[in-house]
Amino acid sequence: MQETSDYLQFVLAPQMFTGLTMGVAVVLAALGLTIIFGLLDVINMAHGAFYAVGAYLALALERVGFGYIVLLPLVVLVMAAFGYLLQYGLIQHVLTRGRDRHVTTLMLTLGLAMVIEDANRAIFGVETLRPANPIPGSAAIFGMVLPNYRLFLISAGILIVAAVMVVIYRTRFGAMVRAAAFDRQMAASLGVPVKRIYGLTFALGVALTGLAGALLAPVYSIFPTMGHDFLVMAFIVVIVGGLGSVTGAVAAGFLLTQVQALASLVVSPVWGSPIILAVMVFVLIMRPGGLFGRLGHV
Amino acid sequence: MSDPITLSMRSSHLFVASALFAALLFALVAWTLGDRFYLRLATEALLFSGLSLSVGILFGYTGLLPLGQALFFGFGAYASALALRHNPSFWAAIFVVFIATLALGIACWLIAGRMRGVYFALVSFGLAEIVSKAVYNIRWLGASDGLRGIPIVDIPLGFLSISTDAPLAFFLFALVFVGFLYSVSAYVLDTPLGRGLMAMKSNERRMRFLGYPVFAARLVAYVLAAEIAALAGALYPMLRGFVSPDLMYFSVSTEAIIGVVLGGATMLAGPLYGAVILTVLRSIIASLTQYHLLVTGLIFMIAVIFLPRGIIGIAQRSGGGGLD
Repeated sequence: MQETSDYLQFVLAPQMFTGLTMGVAVVLAALGLTIIFGLLDVINMAHGAFYAVGAYLALALERVGFGYIVLLPLVVLVMAAFGYLLQYGLIQHVLTRGRDRHVTTLMLTLGLAMVIEDANRAIFGVETLRPANPIPGSAAIFGMVLPNYRLFLISAGILIVAAVMVVIYRTRFGAMVRAAAFDRQMAASLGVPVKRIYGLTFALGVALTGLAGALLAPVYSIFPTMGHDFLVMAFIVVIVGGLGSVTGAVAAGFLLTQVQALASLVVSPVWGSPIILAVMVFVLIMRPGGLFGRLGHV
Repeated sequence: MSDPITLSMRSSHLFVASALFAALLFALVAWTLGDRFYLRLATEALLFSGLSLSVGILFGYTGLLPLGQALFFGFGAYASALALRHNPSFWAAIFVVFIATLALGIACWLIAGRMRGVYFALVSFGLAEIVSKAVYNIRWLGASDGLRGIPIVDIPLGFLSISTDAPLAFFLFALVFVGFLYSVSAYVLDTPLGRGLMAMKSNERRMRFLGYPVFAARLVAYVLAAEIAALAGALYPMLRGFVSPDLMYFSVSTEAIIGVVLGGATMLAGPLYGAVILTVLRSIIASLTQYHLLVTGLIFMIAVIFLPRGIIGIAQRSGGGGLD
């Protein structure tokens, strides 16, 4: 009995806590990815690159001398502007290309990812950087010693995810997004400024990913290819949850990061991502559309 | 008899023939200068153009974009390396790769075959990630170091025998080999099957109603593409003497796609051109700047936006026809 509770308290719970930290960041990125796909039909291959940009941006702002609490909203604003400009100036041009637009936009963002990644390398160098922990110290909860920063990360992350869901499902802007995702022509003829909604949605997605990068930077490190594995994870989450589904991204994000964290108790951690990928393939065979329905279609 | 598809195939053959001529010219120059390095590099480019051809077949004829086609290239390389270590015989290795890829291709198709559009792209991406991560962690496959010390073999061709260690001879062999892969694909895609695939690409539902075996036709195209990639990959360990998990990585798949887009997917010759042009471009860019990904990415984006039919599309006369 004592052994079981020790196992729960000192092995299982901390591992789930680690999974939750990752889960929050993955859900933030996956939300961006899924909203962008749900509305614009764009598989954003540059999402991982935006994640890296967010982290580098946070680091640069920190070095200029901004405090952590000022810096996070700044990252969001800059990333949103960046995303809006990219959508308006670049992606919008190939969106009108009929049937092939899925593949065209996928390839375009793939090229964009290469450019951004190398630009990061050119500006910040190839070394692994580690920003200072903005909230040092730790707290004891139920006998577990948990770092303060991770506690902050999890609570902030959950608040942001909740806020995004409120925006999508409870505001006028969200209604327009869902309407445009369901039927863009009809939405446009009813007076929804579809082009601007597209730009703003892309901006929202990019900002969320950038924020995930900025939040995770003090926990993991910053390096030019940091977006790769993260992108893979975010994609898996979005596919399992259902491409274009907001609820799906949140549910699958928390679920899969828990699976990954708990699997590493049983098998070597290097097998974590193959397991997750196998889960994805399995879900796709059983339910090709993912677990939840697409944005605007529920 | 001269419908657009026939015309496209013919102009494709013409493009390949001129590429063959250019390659022979290059071999002649390299041979007179006693070069080793560029011959090896060109051989590698030929092998990767086989991978691009494989992506081009899928993308051009079925509209499916494989984001993880390097899986088959790397699989072919590993299967060939293992076979050569076990028994240093060229044709035995090729046979092993062929049979193993048949099995892997069908298995992957059972997973990816029902997917369309972006779902297919992402599942293909996922499959390649699973396998490359697994290979990276499996010790008897050399884990992250890969397999080294692949023996040099002789390729018996009946009247003559070519050593994989001789740069010029192996380059010429690779040229013939990739030419053979191209011819087989061109032959298969010129049968009614190729037209069936084109018809499915433009309207799958109608073909289904017409009683066309949609699933089987796509399976053949998919396995054909897998075989092309794997057989091109099979020569890789003979050229470099080692294989590593990098061969299956996303960056390899990406380069194959860039090759297809640069060259143009509307014609079978496009991917071959694209892959070779990309290799040349990359070595030029790499000599000018260390940030070659940035430049390659920009070129790729420009090609996606402004050259939907690739470089072949520019060279094509308006009467030359192409697949759309």
